[in-house]
Amino acid sequence: MYNLQRFILKHHFVILFILLEVISILLLARSQNFHRNSLVNTSNAVVGKIYEWSSEVGNYFRLNTTNEQLAEENAMLRRQLSIVYDTASCVFDVNEGDTLYEYIPAQVVNNSTNQTNNYIIINKGAKDGIERDMSVISSDGIVGVVTDVSRHYASIMSLLHSKSVVGVRFKNNQEIAGLKWQTNNYRYGMVEDIPTHIVLQKGDTIVTSSHSYIFPEDLMVGTVEEFYPTAVDALNKAKIRFATDFSTLRHVYIIKDLHKPEIDSLKAKFQ
Amino acid sequence: MNKIFLQIIRFVVLVLFQVLVINHIRLGGYVHPYIYLIFIMLLPFNTPKWQLLVLGFFLGIIIDVFTGTPGLHAGATTLMAFCRPSIISLISGNQKFDNIQEPNLGQLDGMWFFRYVLCLVFIHHFALFFLESFSFRLIGQVLLRILLSVPVSVFLIMMILYIFKTERKRE
Repeated sequence: MYNLQRFILKHHFVILFILLEVISILLLARSQNFHRNSLVNTSNAVVGKIYEWSSEVGNYFRLNTTNEQLAEENAMLRRQLSIVYDTASCVFDVNEGDTLYEYIPAQVVNNSTNQTNNYIIINKGAKDGIERDMSVISSDGIVGVVTDVSRHYASIMSLLHSKSVVGVRFKNNQEIAGLKWQTNNYRYGMVEDIPTHIVLQKGDTIVTSSHSYIFPEDLMVGTVEEFYPTAVDALNKAKIRFATDFSTLRHVYIIKDLHKPEIDSLKAKFQ
Repeated sequence: MNKIFLQIIRFVVLVLFQVLVINHIRLGGYVHPYIYLIFIMLLPFNTPKWQLLVLGFFLGIIIDVFTGTPGLHAGATTLMAFCRPSIISLISGNQKFDNIQEPNLGQLDGMWFFRYVLCLVFIHHFALFFLESFSFRLIGQVLLRILLSVPVSVFLIMMILYIFKTERKRE
């Protein structure tokens, strides 16, 4: 016992070092899991508040652009609405029970684009009905998935994450594929599993597929920037330009799937 | 008492500067400078070794909470704090700092300081980018990140130290 004590005292520096490194690596390994229940909550109140203060300063300088974006989005929605009214030639009675999704608006208080794993923090949390695994979009396209929720804030795993995979569909030929991020450029993602008979053109639109359990179907994802046909017996690749500009992201919508409890309970029956 | 207060202020300012300003600077996908390491670099020479480790770990965890990467910066900064005593004795050789309390650009030779910062930044960035990728799959990208980020971090750190250096007091 005395010897052990002496050993610990003599080597306390190395022992403490190993202990702290083991803790770090355990924390890190835990956070690699997408459905993490992390000990260090990344959307906690203090951090959220500090980021909120700092982003408020910047927001004043961006009011003009933000207004323009919102006006443009409004115009687009009005256009879509007029098409619906014209073709049906009758007035829809849209009541609560008919809507599949509810949209919760939120502001980005912190966002990064230059890490290998990027997270976004928004100023809405459990208090506003935000839950884990909800999908997040901007007015241009999809953004990410909610991973951590505190009372007033939530953190979102951005598409710019090394573990992010989104089920997508090419709009003109209905082919389904998986979109990943290459961890170096915040503007582009990569689709690597395109069957060889499919040929894509630059500018082809990509939307979310119905196979994606997280995102609703037919949301804008991006456009094809470059198509790489490969040799025989391999799958084609394509470089995708994200519709969302992650560097200037300010306003996002969290999508609440009102039928999710129903789908979940059905799924539970199969298992 | 006054000195502890100064260290706390330095800690808070460096963390906020890192997460609110430096982390938002985009210099292409591969360059990620980190300046919060200055806190560990400027701790007094007579700081007990175990305190170095604990402070390094704590500093890293705080940065991790802000960036949403639990354990990443904590691991890298702890390793850096572990290496600090050996690096100091390695680069100073027979030099003795009897009358100098803490590493300071105003009181120490500039070349000594440059080597000191370069070694520690390299150790930190090496550990950080490897832990971040958490595999050896993207080794090329990781090495590129290290090669491009280290010079930028060293440059920023030397600039900050130069601006805030205190000249040796005449007695």
